[in-house]
Amino acid sequence: MSAEKTTLSGVVKATIDALAVAARNFVKPERITIYYPYERLDYGKMRGWIGLWTEKCTSCMLCARICPTNAIKMYPAPNGKRYPGIDYGRCIMCHFCIDVCPTDALYGTDVKELTWYDYKEMIYTPDMEREPPKIQEPYKSVKVAIKYVGGIPKKVRLQE
Amino acid sequence: MSMDLWSLLLSPRLWFFILMFAASGAVLLTVVWFERKAAARVQMRVGPYHVSPQLGGYLQLLADAFKFIISEPIVPRGAHKILFVWGPAVFVTLAFGASLLLPLTPELRLIKKDPSLLPHGLVFSLVVLLLVSISIVIIGWSVNNKFAYIGAAREALLVAAYELPLILSFLAMAILYGTLNPLEIVQKQTLLVGAILNPLAFLVFVVATAMATARFPFEIADYEGDVATGPYSDYGGIFLVLSFAGGTYYATFSYSFLATLLFLGGWALPGYAPGPWPQDMIGHLTLAVWVFLKTTVLMFFFAFLRAAMPVLRLDHTLVLGWRGLLTLGLLAVLWSAALRLAGAVP
Amino acid sequence: MIKSEEYGLVLKEEKLEGGRRVLDLFWGPQHPTSGHTRLIVEVDGDVVVNVTPDPGYVHRTMEKLGETRHWIQNIPLFERLSLPDAINVTWAYAAAIERLAKMDVSPRAQYLRVIMAELSRISTHLYDLGLHAIMIGSSTGFMWGFGLRELVVQLWAMVSGSRTTPTWVLPGGVRTAPPDVFYEQTKGFLDYLEKKMDEFVRLVVKNPVGYYRLKDVGYLSREDAARLMATGPGARGSGIDWDARRVYKYGVYDELEWEVCVEDGGDSLARTMVRICEIRQSSKIIRQALDRAPRDGPLVGEAVLHRMPPKQKETANQLIRLGALFTSRLPEGEGLGITEGGRGRYFFHVYGDGSEKPYRVRISTPSWQNLRAMIKAFIGARLMDLPAIYGSFGYFPPEQDR
Repeated sequence: MSAEKTTLSGVVKATIDALAVAARNFVKPERITIYYPYERLDYGKMRGWIGLWTEKCTSCMLCARICPTNAIKMYPAPNGKRYPGIDYGRCIMCHFCIDVCPTDALYGTDVKELTWYDYKEMIYTPDMEREPPKIQEPYKSVKVAIKYVGGIPKKVRLQE
Repeated sequence: MSMDLWSLLLSPRLWFFILMFAASGAVLLTVVWFERKAAARVQMRVGPYHVSPQLGGYLQLLADAFKFIISEPIVPRGAHKILFVWGPAVFVTLAFGASLLLPLTPELRLIKKDPSLLPHGLVFSLVVLLLVSISIVIIGWSVNNKFAYIGAAREALLVAAYELPLILSFLAMAILYGTLNPLEIVQKQTLLVGAILNPLAFLVFVVATAMATARFPFEIADYEGDVATGPYSDYGGIFLVLSFAGGTYYATFSYSFLATLLFLGGWALPGYAPGPWPQDMIGHLTLAVWVFLKTTVLMFFFAFLRAAMPVLRLDHTLVLGWRGLLTLGLLAVLWSAALRLAGAVP
Repeated sequence: MIKSEEYGLVLKEEKLEGGRRVLDLFWGPQHPTSGHTRLIVEVDGDVVVNVTPDPGYVHRTMEKLGETRHWIQNIPLFERLSLPDAINVTWAYAAAIERLAKMDVSPRAQYLRVIMAELSRISTHLYDLGLHAIMIGSSTGFMWGFGLRELVVQLWAMVSGSRTTPTWVLPGGVRTAPPDVFYEQTKGFLDYLEKKMDEFVRLVVKNPVGYYRLKDVGYLSREDAARLMATGPGARGSGIDWDARRVYKYGVYDELEWEVCVEDGGDSLARTMVRICEIRQSSKIIRQALDRAPRDGPLVGEAVLHRMPPKQKETANQLIRLGALFTSRLPEGEGLGITEGGRGRYFFHVYGDGSEKPYRVRISTPSWQNLRAMIKAFIGARLMDLPAIYGSFGYFPPEQDR
């Protein structure tokens, strides 16, 4: 490859080739940008917010013990048992707690768009863990997916 | 000569100045928008979109300029105060001022009283463009920061490399046309433009302009990867708009304007000659728009290079300037001389 | 008159001949192309005379943290050593634990691990090529590298549920099984990737501007690379023919047909071409593995499977519940895990002492190994070559500092 480079014609040809590549991409762009929040990508399954059904929990505390970031604290309830509450400032959403729970009391959702105003609001107690938090959706979003058509990825709208 | 209000308003100098000011601003905005959009199209993304979705994000530039203007301007403690604050202003004034010395249409020009001064205007604009590069060195020195110092030193080396080929290409066109009067130069380009008559000179001029105004692949003095944008590294707010965004693009505009006059035919429309000002205002304005269109197309080429090219190393660029461009410049002069002797150009 | 001593332009007065002085540059963390590390560069005119690295800016005490937590909690921790290359790092750790606790791996997990590890290698190479391109100045190469990596990251999200932090490799196997859509989507991605890499080469590497930026820059001879223990593309670009996948024969690499990419140049161009060739070889490996991977079967080996309660064993073909692993303790002894990541070879050495916390975890990452070789390549180059050499070694400070 080096021999053909040092000749003047090789250099000129390679420069024009590079400009031609850029020009071809300019004329036929291959964009994969997703115009969030007007469009949302359909992932299938995502590891998101973690919820709890307290009637299934047996207070074995395995979830608090396995959490890699110590995000789960057990809160005592009036009936003498302890139930887990998750601090979302520390949670990395690895879903180890869901995978270790022997009674399937913890369940996973795919909600990842969570924001809070104060860090104290990030600490969820067991009664707040029953339902996923309500996400405001100011824009009506359309689900899209990326499909490979003719060897090029294209953004395709999924009709719901 | 009595100047009442009406003749003042219709004065060609005033119209020239307003047109250049307004149109160069519009051309600049369009070129920066094109640069961002074209780079985005090549790079698998969208570019400016949300500010004005129907216009393709054109007004994003106004929003960015507004943000820069209301930012707090910070002057570092160790910098040379006067040069730091006035450097960008001098830079952008010189960069824009070079284009004011050239005629826009046969009647709209700043040098009105004595038409024999027009050739001097052409040469003087080249000198002013050289001073622009020197003002970049001044800016780099005033920032007082090791990276800016290295950037200023690189700019000084580059000036020595590209200035001589630029002058040679200019000389080649002067020999070809046989005159330095811009009115006559454009008159000779009604059939074949200068770029076709002497493509070597055009190539040398384009490459030297890219070197002079820090267009890719020669963005060496203010290279982000190495010297952290060199001379402009401590500038923010209004200073940055004037120097990095305004000054370099205005310098490109001035060079492109000069190139339109010399190489792309200026205002020559085959078969159309405007009447005298102010009777034929529409004709002159049409020619002005035609000139700005050509300038914009040339600037679009420079803006597109950002998407296609990496940045060349300093010593390779100097070798390219002193060896490659100088040889091509000399060949361009010889080619012009040969064409002139053969009588191919009237 | 501005006096240069007053304004602090020159820190170090080393008198060279001719009355010249050496300029000290702090190529520090606040710099566009230095990454998260500081290099103190001494430059004489335009030529670099000496470089002193100052590592430790991103030191997160991962080895000490590994001693204070249960061995399964270390998996998300060590994944964050190098997130573009997450699978190869956690595979090395999982291999060390498997050696120590004598766990076997199921065949389906071997194939899935190979597929995801090669995707991880492609992701690292795209990340490194993208950063290298922007350090040379080509913003198009940067966006293409990261745009293609976006497609890889979406594939990871399909398999494991998270885009950039899969946390997917467990000692004994893997955690989740990919859906059926994954196989078609990966094949489509590989077709597009090969086409785009051709265009990348034409635009950035074969482009004379980029070519002369990379040729004969940062030369590292074969003896120097071997003596200074370079690894990954840093070593293979200088002619050293060593690849941990071929030597240690882990996974199913010895059953698939592929080649080790070696170039002889020793300069930045050779290292970049090694990377691009490795992307193509990875694509070849993934295609073969996609055809041969069993679509059904347990995701972990027998050692873990027989410890699981029957209710959790029902989903062992789709999702692994962690109860069996969480209640295992590490026996006394030591285990080694070596994998070949995108940037070089990862080495994990785990000492167990009978409890569930490791006694000591020793990590050796490729960027830390390449540091000495990279410093040797810096000296004698020009100032503008520093980003080009930095990018060609694929230097990643979070991995270097652990």
